[in-house]
Amino acid sequence: MTYQGMTCPLLSEESIDILLDYAAGRLDQARSTLLERHTASCESCVAFLGGQTSLWQTLDEWEPATVSMDFNRRLWRRIDGLRTQPWYRRFSASVRLGGWKPAIPLAAAVLVVAAGFIMDHQNTAPVSPAAAKSVGVSVIEVDQVEKTLDDIQLLKQLDTSGTDTRAARTL
Amino acid sequence: MWQRVNTGMGASPAPDLDAELMLRVREGDEDSFRVLLDKHRNPLIHFLYRMVQDQPVSEELAQEVFLRIYRSRASYEPTARFTTWMFRIATHVALNWLRDEKNERAQERLDDDRDYDLPSRELPDRKPTVEQRMLYRARLQEIRDAIALLPAKQRAAVLMHKYQEMEYSQIAAVLECSESAVKSLLFRAYETLRGRLAHMVTRGTK
Repeated sequence: MTYQGMTCPLLSEESIDILLDYAAGRLDQARSTLLERHTASCESCVAFLGGQTSLWQTLDEWEPATVSMDFNRRLWRRIDGLRTQPWYRRFSASVRLGGWKPAIPLAAAVLVVAAGFIMDHQNTAPVSPAAAKSVGVSVIEVDQVEKTLDDIQLLKQLDTSGTDTRAARTL
Repeated sequence: MWQRVNTGMGASPAPDLDAELMLRVREGDEDSFRVLLDKHRNPLIHFLYRMVQDQPVSEELAQEVFLRIYRSRASYEPTARFTTWMFRIATHVALNWLRDEKNERAQERLDDDRDYDLPSRELPDRKPTVEQRMLYRARLQEIRDAIALLPAKQRAAVLMHKYQEMEYSQIAAVLECSESAVKSLLFRAYETLRGRLAHMVTRGTK
């Protein structure tokens, strides 16, 4: 929607600054002229400007309170207190300024590495008889399993050599 | 010992006068800090007062802002306008205070410091009548309430735009968002205020 060579500022929040600045009396002459040409044929903008200008004047009524006379004196007293602080207090104050924030990802990375290290060592550590007993697995059972696996391997080898012998006889 | 303080507001503009003063503070010139304090004390306290709506608290928060600036002097780098940096600290401090549940409860007792709200300009040539004072206070309270009900970020944007007369780019730098986001915040905030204060806002053409 274009009126008098200007897209209506109300159509986009991006260009709302033109109306806000005009209502505040902060818009430069060139853009003011352009907007005035537009508002001559745009009732929506006229209504917006009327409301915004009145709001602006209403907000002017809220004047700030008077600042305490001793503000500077109180501040300098606190600054003097800073100067006489021991080094560790000054350090903790500097940390409070936000210096601890970069330490968060670093601490997280250290934790992840530490957790990985512990888990890795837990997996490869030999099972002591005492530990095995505590989880209900006896060392003898482990030995039996190993022996059984060896037996299976031996049987496979025998089976393979038997097949080869039968094949030779057939020939 | 001091961490490096970068004002952290993107591109480096040419150093302004305040930034030059701050650089002198970095070199140990405390008179430059006095100049900065005298220049920015009132605007800063006014901004904080309108944010938290409690005069003693706003002064306490302003002290905190100036203390942070002073503590950061050794590592100060002028990568943005000094006022942008200062208002960024002030906004953080104010938003933190507002977020604090305990302080929010304290915020409800706005009546306690009502006398702070009577500016000297309110008493022009002749003394206002009791009725005029009551009317003024009622209008003022409505304005304060309407602004206090805005979301904190919208409130900060309106206060910086309306009362500190900041540019959109500077408000964006303070609030750490884009310029278009600031315009959107302002559009919605003013729309809300026009609605809430409709009975006070007389509609008419400019």
